[in-house]
This record gives sequence, C-alpha cells and structure tokens, in this order.
Amino acid sequence: MSAPGKGRGMAIDLSFTVLDGARETRVPGGRTIEEIEADFRKPGNTTFTSVFGPDPFDFWVGPFYVGVWGFIGSIAIVIGSLFYFNETIFKGPYSFPQNFFAGRIDPPPAEVGLALQRAGEPGFAWQMTVLFATIAFFCWMMREIDISKKLDMGYHVPISFGVVFSSWLTLQVIRPMLLGQWHEGFVIGVMPHLDWVSNFGYRYNNFLYNPFHALGISLIFFATFLLACHGSAILSAAQTRDPSPERINQFWTDIQYYSIGEAGIHRAGALTAAVGILVSNLCILFSGWPVQDWVAFWGFWNDLPFWRGF
Amino acid sequence: MAAELGVPPNRTPAEIDIGGPDGRIGSAFEAKWLGRLGFDTQVGPFYLGLWGVVSFVSAGLFTFIWLMTMLAQVSYNPIAFLKYFAVLQLDPPSPAYGLGFAPLDKGGWWLVATFFLTISILAWLIRIWERARALGLKPYLAYGFTGAIALYLVIYIIRPIIMGDWSEAPGHGIKALLDWDNNTSVRYGNFYYNPFHMLSIFFLLGSTLLFSMHGATIWALEKFGAHEEEAEIIAPGTGTERAQLFWRWTMGFNANAYSIHLWAFWFAWLCGVTGAIGVLLSGTLVSDWFQWAIDARINYPQAPPVPVELPLP
Repeated sequence: MSAPGKGRGMAIDLSFTVLDGARETRVPGGRTIEEIEADFRKPGNTTFTSVFGPDPFDFWVGPFYVGVWGFIGSIAIVIGSLFYFNETIFKGPYSFPQNFFAGRIDPPPAEVGLALQRAGEPGFAWQMTVLFATIAFFCWMMREIDISKKLDMGYHVPISFGVVFSSWLTLQVIRPMLLGQWHEGFVIGVMPHLDWVSNFGYRYNNFLYNPFHALGISLIFFATFLLACHGSAILSAAQTRDPSPERINQFWTDIQYYSIGEAGIHRAGALTAAVGILVSNLCILFSGWPVQDWVAFWGFWNDLPFWRGF
Repeated sequence: MAAELGVPPNRTPAEIDIGGPDGRIGSAFEAKWLGRLGFDTQVGPFYLGLWGVVSFVSAGLFTFIWLMTMLAQVSYNPIAFLKYFAVLQLDPPSPAYGLGFAPLDKGGWWLVATFFLTISILAWLIRIWERARALGLKPYLAYGFTGAIALYLVIYIIRPIIMGDWSEAPGHGIKALLDWDNNTSVRYGNFYYNPFHMLSIFFLLGSTLLFSMHGATIWALEKFGAHEEEAEIIAPGTGTERAQLFWRWTMGFNANAYSIHLWAFWFAWLCGVTGAIGVLLSGTLVSDWFQWAIDARINYPQAPPVPVELPLP
C-alpha cells in the first residue's frame, strides 16, 4: 500500500484500486444466475474450515448458504420463534390475528434481578426468546463472514450487521446488566414494544432533549437523505443514452460544489448509517445510568464558567 | 474488451472534462486528502443560475430574520446569544390572529421568515430540476426532493391553513422544533399509534438499513469495480455478480445493480410522504390516535390477563 501522506505525519490511506481484469468480466445484459453460481459455488474457504479443516455443513439449501453458522443459527431461529409465537400468538388472550398486535413477552419482574428464571416463572419466555434471538443474530453475522470469505469480499456487510446487533445487545443485555435487572429489557411484541419505547422516553422526562438521541436521529435522517440522493442519481444516470459517472459528478458539483464519487457515496452512506446507530446506542445506554432526567441534564450548560453570569 | 462494450474507462477525477465555464463559478481544484478516504478529490466548480440566486437570497433572508429576532430576545448580547441559542425561538402568531397577518413582533416575523424559507426550498427544487435537464438527466433528485417538501409543506403551510391558524406550525429554533414534535404527538393521543407515523419510521429505519446493506456491499467489492454502477447496470461484471450472490446466499433473494436503486429511491421518498400523511390527518380527521388504534383493533390497552394453566390434579 502506498500512502501518499507518509512522512508527513499522516499515513492514513483508505483508497483502493480496481484489480486488473475485473472490468473485463463485464457482460452486456449480465449472465443468468445459473451461469454465475456455476462459477462461485465452491466448497471450502469458511471460518470453520480455516480453523478445523473440513466443514460438515458446507453446502447450500436452495438459494441459501448453510455452513456451521447457518446450521446453529437455524436451530436458534426455530427455537426462538417457537417461544415467540407460542407466547404472543397461541397463548394470547384474543384471536390469532389480534394477538399478532396485542401479544407480548414481558421481561422478568424487577425483584428477579439478573437471575435466570425456570420454566413457568414470569420472564422465562422473555429470557429464552432473547437468548435464542441473540444466538441467531450472532450466527447470522458469522454466516455473513463465511459468505464474504467465499466471494472474496471485504467484511463490510458483517461489520455493518454487527453494528445493529450491538443495538440489540445494548438494549436487552448490556444495559439490563449495568442496571442489575433483566426487567430493564424491552417488551417483545408489536404494539407493546411501541408502548415501551414511548414510556421509556417519558420515564427520563423528555427523550427529545437527549443529545445522543438528537444526534442519532439526525444521522439516521441524513442516511435516508443520502440514500435518496444516491438512488436518484443512479436512476438518472441509468436512463440517459450516455450513462457515465462524469455526468453525475458534474451534476453534483454544479448544485453543491462537490461530488463525493461513486465509491465515496457508498462509504459515506454505510458509515453514516453505522455511526447513527452507534450514537443511538449511547442514548439508550446513558438513560437511567447515569442520567435520570434529560431536561435536568442540561443544567450544566447554564453553569459553564465562561457564561455563568449571562 | 471494455471499449467494445461501451464501458467507460476508469478515469481519475482530474481527467474528467467538466465542459468549460458555461455559467459556472470558480474552477475545479484537487483536495488530495479526500482521495485517501476513497472519495473523489475534485472540488467545484459551482453553478449558480437564476434559481440558485433566488434560493440563496431567500434562505439568507430567512436566516437573517430568524437570527436577528433571536438576537433581539437577548438584547443583542453575543455571549447570551450563544448560551441560549438552542432555546431561543421565533414563534408563529398566537391562535387569536388566525390566518391573518400579525404584528411583526407578535409572530409577523415568523410569517415573513417562513415565506422566504418556503420560497428558498421551492427555488431549490426548480434549480435541481433545471440542472438535471441541462445536463441531459432525468430529474430524479427533484422527484425525490418532493417527498421531503411534502412533509415540510404539510407541517408549515397546509395543516395550519386547514386548522385555521398559524400557531399550529412549529416555531423556528432548535428547542421549538423538539417541543412541537413532542407536543403534537401527545396532543393527538401519542403518535406511536399513528399508522402513518409507523410507516414513516419504517421507511426511515428501512432506508438506513438499505444504505447500510448496499453501501457495505459495494464498499466490500470496490476492488472488483462494483462501485462503477453506471457500467455495471449495462454490463454486470464480477463485482455485481458477487454482490448478488452475497444476498442470494444470505437471505434467498437479491436485487441487481439497477433495482437496488429503485428500492433506495422509493424507501427514502416514502419516508417523507407517509410522514406528511400522518401529520396531515392529525387534528383534521383524527383527534386521538390511541383511540383510533383501539377502534382499528390493533391496540388493546385493557388486555385481559393471559390465562393461567392450572396444574393437573
């Protein structure tokens, strides 16, 4: 890697080059999925094979790749779904379609603390659903790493998935552990989880005054804005007689002085989305511990020494 | 082979012909450090044009009125202005004035500022439409912008007119926006039960998810040229093939280099439009979304306890 900034105190170089011959593989109109799969469905090159040698689950089922992580993940998905549907739909008080909205799995009561519940005790179904969902999400991330390895891709997709997985962990595992009770986890269910979010916001007085909430929302809106810009730019380009990136670059520099480029926009979009979610994690994590009131939180602002008198 | 297929060669930003001055301001320069992040290094030039002038002047007037009003509220003290910047606000007229023009210091400045803000946004819409046409592009960015404009117009103009007074609109200011958001939700029985709010959130988070998936996929495949999407749409190469296989193997189906951008466009556009519908209905047709959700049989506040299974005798 040649870093143009080397020797000047700044050696960060995240630029890239396209491999020789990659562009020559382009086929007008594209190839059929059968032709493509014939080239890429090869055994080996998974996380499991790199450690243990053979991978007993190194196969596909229909379009899906399985692998060891797919196998473990499937079991977790089935068991977790059984807990979820049993508790919300089948044991719910109404008809099945109504239970889809109303059904709920509550976390254990506060006095349980961080203990594990036995079958039949309140919160057991919640703990089991969260446990198997967590295993399933983790396996999904590891399976994406397997598929990335097989396709000789970077690990950007599993890392991005890991970011949103961190939100699940923050809400259901890390924050409840910091506060010392599983009761702090959110209620699982369609409408009940909305109630939980609403109540959570007002429990800390006004969540809109939470600066991490504000920053997270802003970044998520910005990611949506960038997505609209990128989607519309490519649709525009694809519908001209001479689709070339130069025309789109010229459009962006004309209207906003700078065009980040066709590789740059994907990096910027993925980064904005990821940072938005990571900042949102903080807004949850800091509520209840250490901040109890996001309105009173701003008291420090008026007491800053350089403008206390104003 | 690339030339035979009409695939554009890989050109560095410096080699791009930007077509001469043609109404543009300044000349392009290179910012090398951007290249180290994988971004294009060319900055500028900039096109202004008639609608650009209208847009910037209107936005400037809006900003000037907004900031001067807030500055007056702290007796033009710059340090107090910075200290209280987030809580200062330019409020719309009180309900007593209805849709009429209020005295300037009683909300009239809000009317003037909002007028210029609206002109600025609409001029920007025309500007990006005209720039696209001038460059021979379909104005998809302008189409997309209509989603955000719909939300803006409903909140600031259309719904206040339907409700009969300007005080329904948010004030200009950071705290004012947050408070309007919170109060509107609580006043109409909690927006979490508003189905269009649900849809808008779905498309907002869905857009973030889509860009995370698409951006990360293309980022991971830059060395195979997957980011050159204009070329890959016409003639998919190994980069796009790997991207498609990744999602096919992961979740059983996949988009292609063109259709992922249709998904992108519609998800982002619908975020604004569904949000606009949700706000428009609140207070006009629906006064309590909590009750609405009960009537629609998706909310069950008085759910009976889950039946307890008695142990066998």
